[in-house]
Amino acid sequence: MIVTQKALARRTFLRGMGLSVGLPLLDSMVPALSFGKTPETPVRMAFVYVPIGAIMEHWNPTYTGALGELPRILKPMEPFRKEMLLLGNLTHNGGRALLDGGGDHARATGGYLSGVQPKKTAEDSSYGDRSGGNTAAIKAGITADQVVANKIGGKTRFASLEVGLEDAQQAGNCDSGYSCSYTNNLAWKSATQPLPPILEPRALFERMFGDSAGLSPEARDRRDLYRRSILDFVVEDSKKLQTKVGPSDRRKLDQYLTSVREVEQRIQQNEKDSRQIDPGMEKPGGTPGNFAEHFKLMSDMITIAFQADLTRTVTFIVGREGSNRTYREIGVPEGHHNLTHHRNNPEMIERVAQINCYHMRTFAAWMEKMKAAKEADGTLLDNSMIVYGSGIADGNRHTHEDLPTMIVGKAGGFLKSGRRIVYRRETPICNLYLSMMEGMGVHEEHFGDATGHLSELTA
Amino acid sequence: MQPRITEKPSLGIIFDSALSRVDDALAMALLYGLDGKKEERLVSVSISRPNLKAAIYSDIVGRFYAGAVSGAIGFNGRALPVGLALSGSMKEDRPFFTEPLAKVGADGKPAYPSDIKHDLDTAEVAAVTRNALTAQWDDNTTIVVSGPASNLAKVLATGGAKDWIQRKVKSLVFTGGRFAEGPADENIKADIESAKRLFAEWPGSIVACGAEMDGVIAYPAASIEKDYAWSPAHPVADAYRAGGAMPWDAPLWAMNSALYAVRPKEGYFKMSEPGTISVLDDGRTRFTPSANGRHRYLIFDPAQKERILKAYTEIASAKPVEKPQRVPRPNQVVLKPAEVKQPEKQ
Repeated sequence: MIVTQKALARRTFLRGMGLSVGLPLLDSMVPALSFGKTPETPVRMAFVYVPIGAIMEHWNPTYTGALGELPRILKPMEPFRKEMLLLGNLTHNGGRALLDGGGDHARATGGYLSGVQPKKTAEDSSYGDRSGGNTAAIKAGITADQVVANKIGGKTRFASLEVGLEDAQQAGNCDSGYSCSYTNNLAWKSATQPLPPILEPRALFERMFGDSAGLSPEARDRRDLYRRSILDFVVEDSKKLQTKVGPSDRRKLDQYLTSVREVEQRIQQNEKDSRQIDPGMEKPGGTPGNFAEHFKLMSDMITIAFQADLTRTVTFIVGREGSNRTYREIGVPEGHHNLTHHRNNPEMIERVAQINCYHMRTFAAWMEKMKAAKEADGTLLDNSMIVYGSGIADGNRHTHEDLPTMIVGKAGGFLKSGRRIVYRRETPICNLYLSMMEGMGVHEEHFGDATGHLSELTA
Repeated sequence: MQPRITEKPSLGIIFDSALSRVDDALAMALLYGLDGKKEERLVSVSISRPNLKAAIYSDIVGRFYAGAVSGAIGFNGRALPVGLALSGSMKEDRPFFTEPLAKVGADGKPAYPSDIKHDLDTAEVAAVTRNALTAQWDDNTTIVVSGPASNLAKVLATGGAKDWIQRKVKSLVFTGGRFAEGPADENIKADIESAKRLFAEWPGSIVACGAEMDGVIAYPAASIEKDYAWSPAHPVADAYRAGGAMPWDAPLWAMNSALYAVRPKEGYFKMSEPGTISVLDDGRTRFTPSANGRHRYLIFDPAQKERILKAYTEIASAKPVEKPQRVPRPNQVVLKPAEVKQPEKQ
């Protein structure tokens, strides 16, 4: 590594024509004569929400302690056994009916990260009106990611990023009198302010790398006309930077900008494909119809956002709770939700398991990229904690206890990974969030329905 | 799909017990009996004795009454798990709850099955109590404590607990204290600090059933042999037999608390004037009358003795009333007139 007298600022951006591109942690950002210590290796936190739980017999291992052979759904995660924690018996009490009748899907997501039972906004639509006319204002609770974002979000360009794949409809009733705001938003800034996820790859890309509002109409037209890369607009800055850094950083920079360019090209290709084959779909323009490709695009951008320290807090809602999405690409043409009400039909159970496995394979591919991204003192995954889970365990019975919950990454050494820990029944999942907040340097006495921190989680 | 509850249901009961004596098992039977009569719903059971077998015993009693109890949360008749303290005094086993666990049927299998094998199969008390409260209508839950105040002190320490208690709890009936001359009672003495906190900080009314009420009524052994004979294996009758040399009449204390909690207006007991109960450093309790006080204590009325006894023997021994369930509970006990072997006494 070349030691320069003056370190490059951690939040250096390549800028040009109203666009800016964040950078990964480079050796040159280490202060001169600091003997290899990085000024800050941030811990990143993400919540990946999968809908309608899992076939739990294929999720829960029969053992506790050190992770060995993983059950069917978790098989793709075997390369990450030393970097993951499987947590058993965590409960989302706010997902239960309590006094409010049907609506388990809405409650599952709407209170998943807050521990709150969302307020029903209309009469139970399962018994009549499905028109969507709300009769009460939405009310849930501030989510764990936003507690963290409020405390440390000022250190990054975005306090948090909210990403999704399926549906961002905010109006109307989506589940038994519960507003669609509950099923379609994972992050809530306050009890009454959900943060809708970005679904469209280009929208996320532009949010991360350039404010398209900052481009003049002429500049945007020019860019679209010539399909130039966003990187073309920051080429001058990029060239200047190349002269300031050493060969190792030049390689890192090249790899990073290449990955940004690849994402951009895939977005352009998808926009082209969408226009050619599926113009009538009710989806934002340029959104891949294929689940895995859409997931890959969005997760690649989350990886870049973490690498460039654009944000440290992400919520990623993989599917709307209660989703009836089909997965023809893996031979499952039936709707997911319909299949989960399998009434113990083995064929339907098998198809749900196939969907669960597909989600997990896609997630594991992302984790490989997180692991491949090197940072000063390890990998990006080492310095992250990615929760993969659902607010429902058994989709057939709508249970909200013993939720499928996994954390991948070591949070900079905060987590003691490589184990399956089963907690006592009814342990609130908010206990996990309270512990994760500690890992992010945020100290809270109480959160949601937490009764304390999770024991045995940390090193 | 479970419909939204639009009519106020019967009173929810949370029963927190140390299972120190047969009386506690009888109190549980009384509460399940009253549940069967739809006078209340036993929505949560927790154990303040750090003893897994005590939790298993309360689980098998719950399963025995599974067709009748309504401690369901969510739908499909799922009940909340048993809450169990993992620390504190009173760790030792008691025969009245261990012997029924050892009982086997003619097939050599346990007469009373339970899924609880490990502490992990029980629940943290603060969470299970709070979760039970969240599923109740406002001002429609009574908590009955028979044992140290340890568990409720933990509930009080949970974030937001006081708000939940104020909203949901109608009354707390605490079996403990002494409101006549005498030493500190065993329930307060078992955890004096928690008792101090409970009486000082509980944000609602408390009715104490003091040690002077202990044994004013005894359960007749004859009732065990006669009134429980409808079942070839009854976990409460078996507990009673294991609790002493038959025939013995068990002194009652917790049962008085349970009966008052569900039927406070029936005049079974007299009531003190309002005031404030404070717990002294040595565990004795002091009652200071005051018009605005939120505490009272029960007073035995000898004129009601026969009436109370009749209620106890009839309700505690009542056959569970089957309620329709969409899905049978796992391991629900199905009562069969099968031959049942008693465990050999050591």
